[in-house]
Amino acid sequence: MITVKDIHKSYTKDTETIKGVSFEIGKGTIFGLLGPNGAGKTTLMQIIATLMKPTSGTVEIAGMSPDKDLLKIHKLLGFLTTEIKLDPVSTPDRLFDFFAELYDIPKDEIKNRKEKAFARFGITPFAGRRISELSTGMKQKISIAISLLHEPPIIIFDEPTNGLDILTSRQVTDYLKELRNEGRCIILSTHIFSVAEELCDEVAVLVDGKIVAQGTVDELTALTGEKNFEDAFFKIYVENHKEDQ
Amino acid sequence: MKKALLIFRWELNKIFSNWHKTVTLFLLPAVLMMLALNVFPLLINYMSTGSFSKKPIVLVSAPTSFRDYVNETADANVYSYSYMSYGEFSEIYRDKNRLKDLMQGGTVLCFFAPGNNDDSFDNAVSDYYQKLLKGEKDAQSKAIIYLGFDINSLSGGLRAQQFRQGVLESYQNSLIDRLGGDYAAIGSNLFSTDSFNPVTKLMDNRTTADNSAAKIVPGMLLIMMYYCAYSLVSDMFASEKERGFWSKLIMTPVSSSAIFAGKIAAIIVIVSGATYLTTLLLFLSSWVNTGNDAMSLLPFGMMLTPTELIIVFLTVPFTVFVMTAACISTVFSLNKLQDITINLQLPLVLFLGDFFLQMFRGTRPMTLEYFIPMHNSLALISDAYMAQEKLWHVIVVLAVNTATALLVIRSVYKKEGLYDNR
Repeated sequence: MITVKDIHKSYTKDTETIKGVSFEIGKGTIFGLLGPNGAGKTTLMQIIATLMKPTSGTVEIAGMSPDKDLLKIHKLLGFLTTEIKLDPVSTPDRLFDFFAELYDIPKDEIKNRKEKAFARFGITPFAGRRISELSTGMKQKISIAISLLHEPPIIIFDEPTNGLDILTSRQVTDYLKELRNEGRCIILSTHIFSVAEELCDEVAVLVDGKIVAQGTVDELTALTGEKNFEDAFFKIYVENHKEDQ
Repeated sequence: MKKALLIFRWELNKIFSNWHKTVTLFLLPAVLMMLALNVFPLLINYMSTGSFSKKPIVLVSAPTSFRDYVNETADANVYSYSYMSYGEFSEIYRDKNRLKDLMQGGTVLCFFAPGNNDDSFDNAVSDYYQKLLKGEKDAQSKAIIYLGFDINSLSGGLRAQQFRQGVLESYQNSLIDRLGGDYAAIGSNLFSTDSFNPVTKLMDNRTTADNSAAKIVPGMLLIMMYYCAYSLVSDMFASEKERGFWSKLIMTPVSSSAIFAGKIAAIIVIVSGATYLTTLLLFLSSWVNTGNDAMSLLPFGMMLTPTELIIVFLTVPFTVFVMTAACISTVFSLNKLQDITINLQLPLVLFLGDFFLQMFRGTRPMTLEYFIPMHNSLALISDAYMAQEKLWHVIVVLAVNTATALLVIRSVYKKEGLYDNR
């Protein structure tokens, strides 16, 4: 469903943030981008999410190019990040309606989807309250409910559990598993090994803007000869990281 | 278009559902400007006289005709008069310290001299009209009104000038009715305005007031428009980018141009609305300033013709458009919210400079100035207030501002690396 071919991205003439990244992800898969801070995960996720253009290379979503079918692609994509903070003076109710209208969802259908999503995340009792009055966990749940209200087959999730408490984090990972079982394609970036181990069907290790290893968690662990995935990651990182970068 | 409208409605809703934001955008700038305009003369009065009370005028040997005039004329009542005989004044005049005490604090001295010590001022004037009645074409009167003030007192000088124009000239015109006798009856009366008709009164003061307003109002409106535009751009673009909400919005199947259009349209409508409200309040402020203080920044009688008003109102949304585009460009060229906020505030200094330049310049704008985005709006609004507007100026200003705004937004697209088909 997602094909990334030889992506390069430079913000300035002298530095390249992404250096020739390629991979493919199919249906019903959770693909994890693992790397330390500054490796280029967020940039890559934003390129895949069509939030920014690559300097060179191509991204195809369900066989479509963002240059030609951007708005069709947007109907297929759900982009989530814990960094998103919703409008503090709005209510979950109003935000859901607003985004549902942007996605051209019929009015009667909006009501059904809202009830379902709010019940799923326990938002219903807070639906009429201002976002600023809600807890971080609740805000994140609202953000997920709104980002997925159009039921996209492809979900891009940047740092899904970043800054969340254990309970909310667990709810999010459970939900991602559910979505995968529904046959959706999920790409997530993380620097938390347990998340990658628990969720990802395939992992790509991103170091200094390059994918230096790719495979299942078990394959990468075996490849490095380490006992666990965390050690395997560190070995891959040390072997590929250049200090001057 | 439908989506742009949806975003437009959403942004308006956001503002109007938050009373704090509504007040900040709509009332605060207008109220602050009103305060600045009205407190300024009060403050100057206080600084020069040490009191907020009426402006002091000392009348020496005031004739009955003047006392009657003061009692009958509202405009003359904005001053606080103290009467003094010639003898009392002579004593003070001989004692320099007492004279200094009297003149300090911006007091204006008005001395009615008959020109002949044996006569009164009223008799001297009356005699003059009698001579005219008898056909003495070369008749002259020695009756003179002297105005004295402390040359070092700015408020005293201005007040003397204002008193001369606002009170003494009308009083002099009224003398023919009061003291002209038969000479007035034969039809040599001057045309007198209907002082009970407020419109006539406004029309009398209009030219002076509009010319003064042309120095103050355009700059004020520009500062206010920019303040509101940058506050809204900061909220609708910078804060949303910082919060990540912008990403969420452009990930929807809505073209970026529709998102930009909806938000920019909301900014234009809100800022234009606030500016129109302020403009109307400025008119109101001028119309209630019947005292027409010499220091008043908005003199009494400001009034535009419908065409001039349309030009002012038409200039506003186009100016807001180019200001908004400039602010958006700043937002998208910087990353940190703090940097964005500082850089958005910097142009306020330029607008403030432009305001003072306009306030003190004595010339009309040069042709080139109509081609400078944003500044050209100041020139055009100023033209409208001075009744000097030209159609080609209007066309150039609107076209230049629109074209600049579109070019700036286009460059934002390119810089930001947004997909072209958004």
